[in-house]
Amino acid sequence: MNYVLNDRESSKIVEFIKNFARKNSLWVLAYGTGCGAIEIPPTMTSRYDAERFSVRGAATPRQADVLLITGYLSVKTLKRVIRSYEQMQDPKYVIGFGSCTINGGMYWDSYNTIKQLDLYLPVDVYINGCMPRPEAVLAGFAKLQELIGKGEANGWKHYKENLEWYRQNQQKLIKNWKMPDYNW
Amino acid sequence: MTFWQTLGAVLLTILIAFISGLFYMGIRRKVIARIQNRYGPPVYQNFLDVMKLWFKESNIHHGIMQHLAPLWMMAMGVSTLLFIPIVYNSDFWANFTFKGDIILLLYLMVFGSLGFALGAGQTGNPNSAIGVTRGLSQLVGFELPWVIALIAVMIQYKTTSLTDLVAWQQQHHTWIAFEQPFAFIAALLVLPAMFRYSPYDIVVAPSELASGPASEFGGKYMGLMMSSGSIFMFAKLALIVDVFLGGATSWLWMIIKTLALYMIPVLWSTVNPRYRTEQAIWSLWRWPLIFAVIGLLIATV
Amino acid sequence: MADLIYENTVVNVVKEHFKDDIIDAKVRRQRRVELRTNTNNIESVLLFLKEKMGFLHLSHISCVDWIEENRFELVYILWHPQEKVNVLIKVDVDRLNPVAPNIDYIWPQANTYERELREMFGIQFEGLVGRHELILEDWDDLPPMRRDFDTLQYVMQNYTFRSGREDAQDVRETIAKRTGEEIPEFAKKYSR
Repeated sequence: MNYVLNDRESSKIVEFIKNFARKNSLWVLAYGTGCGAIEIPPTMTSRYDAERFSVRGAATPRQADVLLITGYLSVKTLKRVIRSYEQMQDPKYVIGFGSCTINGGMYWDSYNTIKQLDLYLPVDVYINGCMPRPEAVLAGFAKLQELIGKGEANGWKHYKENLEWYRQNQQKLIKNWKMPDYNW
Repeated sequence: MTFWQTLGAVLLTILIAFISGLFYMGIRRKVIARIQNRYGPPVYQNFLDVMKLWFKESNIHHGIMQHLAPLWMMAMGVSTLLFIPIVYNSDFWANFTFKGDIILLLYLMVFGSLGFALGAGQTGNPNSAIGVTRGLSQLVGFELPWVIALIAVMIQYKTTSLTDLVAWQQQHHTWIAFEQPFAFIAALLVLPAMFRYSPYDIVVAPSELASGPASEFGGKYMGLMMSSGSIFMFAKLALIVDVFLGGATSWLWMIIKTLALYMIPVLWSTVNPRYRTEQAIWSLWRWPLIFAVIGLLIATV
Repeated sequence: MADLIYENTVVNVVKEHFKDDIIDAKVRRQRRVELRTNTNNIESVLLFLKEKMGFLHLSHISCVDWIEENRFELVYILWHPQEKVNVLIKVDVDRLNPVAPNIDYIWPQANTYERELREMFGIQFEGLVGRHELILEDWDDLPPMRRDFDTLQYVMQNYTFRSGREDAQDVRETIAKRTGEEIPEFAKKYSR
């Protein structure tokens, strides 16, 4: 009659509760980088209502959990996005939105948009399409929730561990690097 | 009442206020969603939000005042709650009430906002500074009619004790809301401003101020603010129920009355856009103040 | 075809007033008048059109890079609010030494357009005040809208592509093959 849980099992239960809370409360930073930002209002409002899946907007990076990169990302915006991302509190997730974040999309030969987002930020979920419709966005959120529930959405840990590599890639594009430290 | 009984009552009061406050906020989100023709989040969504915020693994602050700011809010919420008698004629749920608690509550309800303003000032975020200015302006706006309404009640019944007010209402089988309607109307009109709901949400204003004073608070600080917000919300509702709506003979009545009262600012806020700062203050100093002063005149005559 | 009374009036008045300083003046179509002058006279032409003719609004300052003829062509687009007529005033600027007069004392909004042209084409406006960066940030290459700026080469140098991108067929080539049309010489540079 030994019901006392050992350490490993109890930490598993704690992790399960933590992940359950995290996946059911996603606060999305309201920051539109490209044309995809126009798909966010219908996703959030009454037609598609992302709030019923516990996805809600957050006003500032400090409060947010999810950073949506909505579409193309110019080098100038990348600097701000990195800064916003680093201000967010762990655990935090990134969703790459639209084909521009995956391989440059229709801006593949543009001189000032990046072609591959995961060189600069740790992306947990990609949503493809140009632009993805709100259904696709909701599917992306569902995928992210599934990953969080399994404890596999660990992009933020990966970013912290490989900060040097990410910094190298970022500084290759952003020549005038005047930024605060990580999570200042 | 032994020490342990008091402690148990206090802790249980805080716990029930916390849970019901979070549920009220969840109901609010659901109501707003239904009015906007959406399905809306589950009612327990706010519990998950608070849990998630407490489970955050990094929490940044920029100095000791910012570190303490949510604690001021929590201290205000808890202390306000504990000086309000919850259940009529019950020693166990009377908590710390004493003769003159209304006057103490008038002080306590301002204290947390001022402490939080100091903390928000230390973040150095310009949005915080603007939010604090607006918040203090609005505080001046709603404190005036609110205090005058309470003074009118205090003068009319010649008491500064919440217990006495509740006892009078229970013994005469009536509510002060009917006996002193002008003060009650003034209190109702300032209620959205006290909760910072639309049209008085100039302080948080997510789309223009990036949530104002709270813009640099993340992780556990945000979680503490949500918890204290729910407790303080319940405390304010309980105070108005005690003063104007006859108090409660049991926890069930208290919850029914506070929820019904809470629906008034909620429904009012869902259909209203945002005031500008000067509009907010003018709207608070016009009809609410007029009603409060009429109530005061009736009480003194 | 509607009668072009006002359009012709503009052409005649401007020609009469400026004589040889106007290189070319013609009516393109309804509500569209085209003038051509040089950098020395552009300010007086613009002032004349604004003060005497009533073209009160500067819609845009555009630029065309005629790399083969070694010149930039600045296009000032004015709008007459009452008569509803557009006037395009074209000015040639030397491509090697692109200098044009600053006109933001006539229309303050010209300042933004001129800063954009300075950034995107490298055209210098005499006495233009304003931060050097408008849209780009930390740009140290050729101005990117010039035609001798090789975008593809720049992209290949600075960005990495995800592997799998090579699978994508060139759309122009695919269409050309299907319909049997010939790809023009200038476009071949951009197709893979």
